[in-house]
Amino acid sequence: MTASQDHNTAIDVGRFNGVFFEECTEHLADMERILVALDPENPDGEELNALFRAAHSIKGGAGIFGFTDLTVVTHELESLLDRVRGNEIRLAAAMIDLFLEARDAIAMQLAGHRDGTPVDQAVISDICRRLRDQIEGNTAPLAEFSSPAADPDFCSPSSAGGTGSRRLEIVFTPDNDIFQRGVRLENLFNELAQLGELSVKADLPNTPPFETFDPEVCHARWLFTLDTTADEEEIREIFEFVAEREQLTITTKEEHETAPPAAPASQTGDLSGDTAAEPAASLLGRRAYDRDETATGAFGRRGPEAAESSIRVGVTKVDQLINQVGELVITQSMLAQMAAVLDPVLFENIHRGLLQLERNTRDLQQSVMSIRLVPISIVLSRFPRLVRDLAAKLGKQVELRTVGEATELDKGLIEKISDPLTHLVRNCLDHGLESPEARMAAGKGPVGTITLRASQVGGRIVIDVLDDGAGLNREKILRKAAERGIPASDAMTDDEVWQLIFAPGFSTAETVTDISGRGVGMDVVMRNVQALSGRVQISSEPGAGTRVTISLPLTLAILDGLSVAVGGEKFIIPLNAIIESLQPRPEEIKTINGKNVVHVRGEYLPLLPLHALFNLETSVTKAEEGIVVLVDVEGEKAALLVDSLLDEHQVVIKSLEANYRKVEGTSGATILGDGRVALILDVHALLQMKKGIKQATLM
Amino acid sequence: MQTNQETPEKSGAAIPREYLTFTLGAEEYGIDILKVQEIRGYDAVTRIANAPEFLKGVINLRGVIVPIVDMRIKFHLGTPHYDEFTVVIIMNVLNRVIGMVVDGVSDVVALEPEQIRPAPELGSALDTRYLTGLGTVNDQMLILMDIEKLMGSDEMQLMDSAA
Repeated sequence: MTASQDHNTAIDVGRFNGVFFEECTEHLADMERILVALDPENPDGEELNALFRAAHSIKGGAGIFGFTDLTVVTHELESLLDRVRGNEIRLAAAMIDLFLEARDAIAMQLAGHRDGTPVDQAVISDICRRLRDQIEGNTAPLAEFSSPAADPDFCSPSSAGGTGSRRLEIVFTPDNDIFQRGVRLENLFNELAQLGELSVKADLPNTPPFETFDPEVCHARWLFTLDTTADEEEIREIFEFVAEREQLTITTKEEHETAPPAAPASQTGDLSGDTAAEPAASLLGRRAYDRDETATGAFGRRGPEAAESSIRVGVTKVDQLINQVGELVITQSMLAQMAAVLDPVLFENIHRGLLQLERNTRDLQQSVMSIRLVPISIVLSRFPRLVRDLAAKLGKQVELRTVGEATELDKGLIEKISDPLTHLVRNCLDHGLESPEARMAAGKGPVGTITLRASQVGGRIVIDVLDDGAGLNREKILRKAAERGIPASDAMTDDEVWQLIFAPGFSTAETVTDISGRGVGMDVVMRNVQALSGRVQISSEPGAGTRVTISLPLTLAILDGLSVAVGGEKFIIPLNAIIESLQPRPEEIKTINGKNVVHVRGEYLPLLPLHALFNLETSVTKAEEGIVVLVDVEGEKAALLVDSLLDEHQVVIKSLEANYRKVEGTSGATILGDGRVALILDVHALLQMKKGIKQATLM
Repeated sequence: MQTNQETPEKSGAAIPREYLTFTLGAEEYGIDILKVQEIRGYDAVTRIANAPEFLKGVINLRGVIVPIVDMRIKFHLGTPHYDEFTVVIIMNVLNRVIGMVVDGVSDVVALEPEQIRPAPELGSALDTRYLTGLGTVNDQMLILMDIEKLMGSDEMQLMDSAA
């Protein structure tokens, strides 16, 4: 019996491991963000507290879930942080580096538990030793740095330390109905605790006999002892909504009073008083931390992001929801199609109802889609650290600016865009920005700037990576291209030359470093972004810098498309690829080398009959009998010949690969209003299909 | 999926396995019933370009896009004609949903392991690799297909070759 119970508990805890890992990852990300931004000369007390909280939360969680090895580093880190926070040890730039290394060590241990990756124990013990050295080596000599007025016996936080600190005694006698009014006393205690060191005692001067005792009626009063620099008004403000002025007595005691405060006039601390004091006591217990239980601010106000209430939901659940809403949209449009034949006068109610349904489903779909959207700051937040480390390694001075961090995009995209962005930022640092000396020589400031800018433009997300470095070197790129056997010529335009750096195996770095220069960077960027139906553009100005622009669709799940008919089948052409549609006149069709081209507005565009590409039987084989849809992908234009245009709609993209395989020339499939499946054309792939042979020889 | 497959094997000889039997031309075939999701009529399919002839196309099965293969074309059994009696067996194999057109679904039979004999070479239109054996029910021979192996094979061209 007990054994099975134990077994159950083990499973239960195991189920929460995922949550713990996720939380730890967030805490580690927080730590990194704070550490990188921390100014060693003048650290922000709130930030230090947040750091301490993060380390403490990881340690606490690790203890609960039985990852004892995780607690080792976090404990040392926490101890050192606590001393820094308490002004016992002065923060130094080297210490921030050490903290960052400790963070990485914890991340490594975490990955070890989560993914089973190897953990280098030597690194762990080295970090622990160095953290301990900092604590032991620094405590004595650095004591002089702490505020002279601070009590040497206890670690006094910066906010409560200093000469202004007094001991206050506060007596709070609430109304009898305070519980019924729903006042949460522990919140009050928390707020008071933030002002300084607080001790709370409940006093029960006139408790009624047990038979008449009503737990909802408050008989207690509370006695607080508070060491604080705050004045009386600040304390009264906390009680503003719960107590009248006369219900609160505040008396000032001497500054260096060491003896416990004398009990006030009424009797305190009988048996029932102890039980009544329990909420306060357990509250303090929650704030407790193994070394310094009285440290204030350890669990002070959380940052603004915590105030937004949220729930954690698995991505699969959200995806399921999106799929189901997608089905609903399809069902709705099926109904609309069926009802279209009904007499609008006779069936007015049905038509009105269906219209309402359409609006509701659209709204629902938008709301559900927005669940998957997350701010891009999740990706951008990792760059300050990267830039800091790389800049130090390369001996360059760099300022990183991020703009538009609140821009939202699909979670799936966020995960996949971080690698290409990392490559780009690394490239900026390594190739783009010059050394401080070179910058000075060029008449620029020694500190280079990298800007990451995200914004939403229409239905797409545009991410710019800009640097104010030397810019791309046309001659160097051309020379390198020639060396690597990449076809290039001096006659190429700048834009075409810049495109060369996306060629596989291209790298202009003079030396191969571990940062970049293996020539796998830019073509990987290009490939990854294209896999997300995105585009990469590059522009550069010699001496002024380089800008790489990534443009991505807002979401991968929905697409605006034009449905076209070809020999009994329907296809969806993505709207963003279409320039225009027209019915050509016979004289506009020309032939070059046996291949048909369409002459539109002075341009000759290759004609791609879809029925031929997809082996379909159709009566429309001549361009002048059908419709040509002009498409443009990455500057490459073509004319697709279809039988007729049908409709424009938003379609939910479904994978063909889930149950089948990739179909050449398509990017997926969707379900139309009539319940039939239609393939979504991948215009870029279609153009490649057409050029098949030519492309093969190029590669 | 995995458990479906393993439970009967693990539980040993005591429990007979159940097979869904269907006809292709003149031959009677059987597949593990646990692989079958549902049986439905033949709907219009969306054709896939440049696919083998036996791949009729894809259908929308309650929001899931499912490829439909016609076994009669694939194994040259019977004449493929499509009417209201044409049957599609929707199966769950290899974590995929695949539809298979057959001439008709007959029965569900339970077979003890000792009722199954190894399939001889050249016994049927199917390669012996894709058979688990031959069963006998009421003096009638039943060809038992290893449907997972068959659908996962290169021959069916249902998977990306990279996968």
